[in-house]
Amino acid sequence: MNPARTARTAALLAWIALAVLRFPAPVGAAGQVPAPTTVVDSLNRSVSVPGKIGRIISLEPEITRIIVALGAGDRLVGIDYFLKHHDHLFPLVFPEGLKLPLVSNQAQDLSLEEAVRLHPDVVFASPSEFRMAESIERKLAVPVVALASMGRFAGLIGEIETLGRILGREERAAELVAFFQERLRALDRSASPDPPGERPSVYLAFWNSLVRTPVSYEPVDAAGGRNAASGVLPEYLGAAGATISIETLIAWDPEVILVQGNYPPEERRVSVGTVLRDPRLASLRAVRSGRVHYTFGFWYWWDPALVLVETVYLSGLLRPGAPAGPGLVATGDVIFKEFYGVEGAFSALCRILDCHEWTAR
Amino acid sequence: MSGRRDKRTTVLSVLAVVLPLALSLVALNVGAYRIPPQAVFTTVAEAVFPGGDGSGPSPYADILFRVRLPRLLLALFAGAALAVSGASLQALFRNPLVFEFSLGISNGAAFGAALSLVFLGRGFPPQPAAFVFALLAVLLVVAIAGRSASQVVTILLAGVIVSALFQALLSLVEVFANPYALQSLVFWLMGSLGQATWKDLAVTLPVIGAGVTVLILMRWRLNVLSLGEEEARSLGLDTTRDKIAVIALAALVTAGATAVMGVVSWVGLIVPHLVRMAVGADNRKVVPLSAGYGAALLLLADTIARGAAPFEIPVGILTSVVGIPFFIVLLKKSGRIWL
Amino acid sequence: MKVRVEGLEFSYGAFSLRVPGLAFAEGRLTALVGPNGAGKSTFLKCLASVIPPGRGTVFVDGRDVAGLPGRERARLVGYVPQEPASTFNYSVLDFVLTGRAAFIPVFSSPARRDDEAAREALRFVGLEDFGPRPVFALSSGERRLALIARTLAQQSAVLLLDEPTTFLDPRHETEVMELVKRLAVERGKTVVVSLHALDMALKFADDMVFMKGGAVVAAGRPDDILDEALLRSVYDIPMGLRNVDGTRIVVR
Repeated sequence: MNPARTARTAALLAWIALAVLRFPAPVGAAGQVPAPTTVVDSLNRSVSVPGKIGRIISLEPEITRIIVALGAGDRLVGIDYFLKHHDHLFPLVFPEGLKLPLVSNQAQDLSLEEAVRLHPDVVFASPSEFRMAESIERKLAVPVVALASMGRFAGLIGEIETLGRILGREERAAELVAFFQERLRALDRSASPDPPGERPSVYLAFWNSLVRTPVSYEPVDAAGGRNAASGVLPEYLGAAGATISIETLIAWDPEVILVQGNYPPEERRVSVGTVLRDPRLASLRAVRSGRVHYTFGFWYWWDPALVLVETVYLSGLLRPGAPAGPGLVATGDVIFKEFYGVEGAFSALCRILDCHEWTAR
Repeated sequence: MSGRRDKRTTVLSVLAVVLPLALSLVALNVGAYRIPPQAVFTTVAEAVFPGGDGSGPSPYADILFRVRLPRLLLALFAGAALAVSGASLQALFRNPLVFEFSLGISNGAAFGAALSLVFLGRGFPPQPAAFVFALLAVLLVVAIAGRSASQVVTILLAGVIVSALFQALLSLVEVFANPYALQSLVFWLMGSLGQATWKDLAVTLPVIGAGVTVLILMRWRLNVLSLGEEEARSLGLDTTRDKIAVIALAALVTAGATAVMGVVSWVGLIVPHLVRMAVGADNRKVVPLSAGYGAALLLLADTIARGAAPFEIPVGILTSVVGIPFFIVLLKKSGRIWL
Repeated sequence: MKVRVEGLEFSYGAFSLRVPGLAFAEGRLTALVGPNGAGKSTFLKCLASVIPPGRGTVFVDGRDVAGLPGRERARLVGYVPQEPASTFNYSVLDFVLTGRAAFIPVFSSPARRDDEAAREALRFVGLEDFGPRPVFALSSGERRLALIARTLAQQSAVLLLDEPTTFLDPRHETEVMELVKRLAVERGKTVVVSLHALDMALKFADDMVFMKGGAVVAAGRPDDILDEALLRSVYDIPMGLRNVDGTRIVVR
């Protein structure tokens, strides 16, 4: 619905401009080349990208997903290693993307040869390696924009808006952001106000380990919980992982333990079962009361739709008094449809990750 | 002068036993979970002399016996293993700068564990594979050195080659690992005693105990072996057999430790050297004292690693921070001993 | 104990050692002399089984040493190398104690009798007060004596010494040779010493063996075999024999 509308608007404006400026009308009303856009990326670099982007390479799954959600998935000319080989979500929401040529290796390093062959207009990369963005830019003479949410909603929203600007999909971006924020507000409204002191403490066992945890993970905060590990590392590091000792975990005695669950079950070294059965943790409140659950988690990048579903799910877990709405699976499907325009994507994901038990509420 | 030396040796010998014990007491009391010393005492007493009321899982008992005690024991045993292995290898190769790292043992163990973590997955502990490949690394070293295995330089060169080989293989494993397994692997390679449970220690501790004991029994023989191949043979030793025995034992105890805690280095270099500086080169003293002080050193490092900050500092980093400058100083000072 | 060599051959690269037959008597000091590269060291090492000969047999007291386990062989034959390469700064006593290796099982440490043997050896060489000193602190003469003491602690009947007088000053040279002679005369050992300095050989040796180019040129008592023609053929330069105060010396 959007590309046609944009084209008509552009044509109208061009016609008016011509009328005012008395230039001979060019054939094809939308033929004017838009001015380049300048954006500031997550590394605080000022990058100038062409006004019209037709060919995109994205090395970051999070960015690729947002591009698809913005409706610009057809402009992707390559796919990164993780999405091609290890992602369960991508085949559900953008299966045609899997046919794209592979542009990176296991370490998410860009294959320069492939990049040259595909001649993108812009490359999106992770900001975790500063030099990488610079070096790709130098070698390809193509603008490189480094973006990541770093485990923060503000970051995610900023990403969506920036990408919207770069790709000329500002309206769609605004739609998504509004949807996202409205859903979060709805969660807030439906919850009884928790005085900060009474928020349940939550420990996140992520990255397939009992002792690695992100010190800041916004879905937990938005869902009414308090990250037990907050303060271990400086806040500005966002969802960086800290390694603690088992004893620290026992000392924190969280009320709830969340285990990262977007690993396929056979790959999980830490599961709800292993936590409940671990003799060292027998005295923890969370273990004794059985409040050990899976959550989707953060694999160094998010899926914008899934993180929203996760927040809804956690809200149900951490604020049991909230009024019942549509079940989680139904809600998830709605959210995925809004982002990606596909039906039943969340249900399909649940089957793959075996999460029907934990999303049954 | 000899009287003073003897006195110093006696004091240091006593300390080699007392220090690990004292540090163990300290380590039992250190941790993120505050347990008052009195509670430590009563909890331990109740465990040794049962008669308590058995009132549900007490966090004190859990922490002391399931978290701190296994970690403490591992530090003691692994520290002794690395130090004794280092001392023995230094005598055998007549080079005070040799330690388990130089024979590819550490990298072999790391590779074995990686292979296990990646391809055998979560259900299978990495320890046995680490064992197997540590010993394989040594066999490779001996095989590469071949007939010139008696030459000191050849063995060291072969060790460097095998180390590099396993390092490369390890990178290869990382390339082919799926991201989930890679997570566990990278984490394990950093070197930490925090992952060990009683199940792990049930195998590792006896193996290390046996290996270290045998090496301590062979301590005088190391004096003779340190004279070199020709002289040792002229004095009546079957040098080939003795060398293989020492190397295999050193590999065994190092692999036993590495399999459970990842790569922790430099203990095998620092401790024997300091001991030699204090009591002389006689291995009858150096080997047993190295065991005691190695245990103490690793326990101290690990206690700092878990006590200093709320997050864990990989203990291998601590030992490197101390060990590498130490190594550089030794290199510069030991002009005539170095090749 | 008598040492007998039969058909000994050893090759290393271009060098070839061949000793078809030779014997060393007990209670006598035999000097092994010859120019550089004659094969003296190699021959001694073969006798000591430090290097295995390519062919041939070494008999000690009628027994083939190649067939003996190292422990037993070491109790029969002791070898003093040219230069001890010790990386570690052992005390002199600990250093000499290593000579007892043939008597101490692998999992044991030296016992009282080993300690006594080591101290006795130190006394014999005149280093009895040197026990606690570190070996690196010794002069080269003293270190040579300590090395001999180590081999003495082995209590072997046969002693092979590889150039024990090299780099020593005249006083220490004489000391060592007197010591070695006493071992043959007083203790009845079979002593073979390889020497550069002909004077020492002439002064102390009961028997002499001349080697050149890997072969034995002459062997026997000095009085029987020594003449200027022999010297010239072995050393390739004209040499003269003189008698000074009853002692034979060599002049060039």
